[in-house]
Amino acid sequence: MRLEIKNITKKFKHKTAVNGFSMVIDANECVGLIGPNGAGKSTLIQIIADILYADEGEVLLDGQKNSSMKHQIGYLPQYPNFFSWMTAFETLYFMGTLSGIAKTELQKEIPLLLEKVGLGKEAHIHVGTFSGGMKQRLGIAQALLHKPALMIMDEPVSALDPIGRREVLNLLKEIKKETTILLSTHILSDAEEICERFVVIKNGHKIEDATKSELLKRHQESAIFLMIRKEDFKWLTMIEHLPYVKKVESCGNGFKVFVDYLEGDAHRLLQHGLDAKVLFTKFEVGIQDNLEEIFLELVV
Amino acid sequence: MHAFIALSKKEINQMTRDYKIVWLPIVFILLGLTQPIMMYYLPVILQSAGGVEGIMIDPNMAKPEGGEVLASTLNSQFDQLGIIILAVATMSIIQGEKANGMMAFILTRPVSISSYLNSKIIIHYILAVICMALGYAVSYGYSAYLFTTVPMTQAIWALVFYCVWLLFVITFVAMMSTFFTSPAFIALISIVVLFICRFTAGLHPILDVINPASNSLYATNILMTGKVGTWYGINVIVTLLLVLLMIMTMQSFIAKKKF
Repeated sequence: MRLEIKNITKKFKHKTAVNGFSMVIDANECVGLIGPNGAGKSTLIQIIADILYADEGEVLLDGQKNSSMKHQIGYLPQYPNFFSWMTAFETLYFMGTLSGIAKTELQKEIPLLLEKVGLGKEAHIHVGTFSGGMKQRLGIAQALLHKPALMIMDEPVSALDPIGRREVLNLLKEIKKETTILLSTHILSDAEEICERFVVIKNGHKIEDATKSELLKRHQESAIFLMIRKEDFKWLTMIEHLPYVKKVESCGNGFKVFVDYLEGDAHRLLQHGLDAKVLFTKFEVGIQDNLEEIFLELVV
Repeated sequence: MHAFIALSKKEINQMTRDYKIVWLPIVFILLGLTQPIMMYYLPVILQSAGGVEGIMIDPNMAKPEGGEVLASTLNSQFDQLGIIILAVATMSIIQGEKANGMMAFILTRPVSISSYLNSKIIIHYILAVICMALGYAVSYGYSAYLFTTVPMTQAIWALVFYCVWLLFVITFVAMMSTFFTSPAFIALISIVVLFICRFTAGLHPILDVINPASNSLYATNILMTGKVGTWYGINVIVTLLLVLLMIMTMQSFIAKKKF
């Protein structure tokens, strides 16, 4: 399902939470919405789920308003809340009936789904006794129950232990093939694993929208990382004066050499080193930040 | 429709869990019991417990009719303590789910706001009618036993009019519950407004036409005199329109996500 977000603005009394935000997510794409706390992630997600009302702009799903497409949306709130007196099975049954799923199908599907999210044994226990992680799993189960074409998840794995996190990520990988997924998170390693595309939001504005490889490429430093033996360190003072070397910086066990034209200069530098009989223990062209560093660079 | 049924079932289950389905009828039965018994034994109680010299109980004092007793059950028990109890029992029907996010969560499903609201109002109304009818039946029985029998048709017509007033009461509390976030405030404002309605009923004939509490007055009129009074048809229609208007207000309030 194709999701179009057009120029959404949402103001609260003292703060504009989302400001002129637009993006398009194509069918079966998995997008990670990333931003620091208070950036407007949850607000945006709640607007897409039709819980909050946007002051301006609209959200379209396959060209139709989100409020008329609720049967196609699976929503997981940040802190899923349920009726504490219902059991896990009853909760899913109730939510399923609200979505208009037939009784027989629910009877058949719910145990399978509970098994899938790791609540197979807790099916007939009251939700009131559930831990945060268990509620999160139940929340994921209810979002998957009606087989939505669009999943919107607000921090789906932040409350889970490493095992639960792995299970949920695997589950998401499985449904990814036929579902459009939008998930917000501030844990980048999780998003990195399942999302191909990242949208970075800060103070309600979209500040970056790129695929992972684009993002990495864009934030590549024009530098060469090298490691040499101690006795060759005097060579470094020599290369500092070369016209194409901008700067030499010590970095961990090695050195970063900043240049103008990465490939050509790397070649010249390597040749220079070989001529000076330097033994390279490591020579790496182009230093890539990991996503975490890019994220910090973007939002701070 | 399936959503409405599922929500109604949930509402009934929740009432059962809260034991509301048990205590509310008991309270109303006790209220219904109090009036005839108190009226019957009051002279005796005064005579034996008063003990102060100078009090004279007129032995020739006319014994009230059964209809009068039943009418006073309605207007001095149900319309006072009864309203307070109903307001407290229904104050959080929407506020509770609004506060814990369940309402928003339920509405992310393909559920219309009207079926959400209607399930709540209808189920709580049915409970209120059952409780009130039970209390009324007990009061009817005791009035017949201790005083005189009220004709069945009169008693039933009075009940019907009273139920129209009850519908207004429940819808009004539900509306307050949609607007405000503090349960205590919801109960307070509901009680105050409903009491004002009740006390202004009968003051002025034109005001009575638009006052939903006039229905309660009609009920007592039927019981005391056998006659309804004027303009009752218009008043019933006005009350039902008010109820409809309140439901629509709630609906647009929720639709605009102002909660």
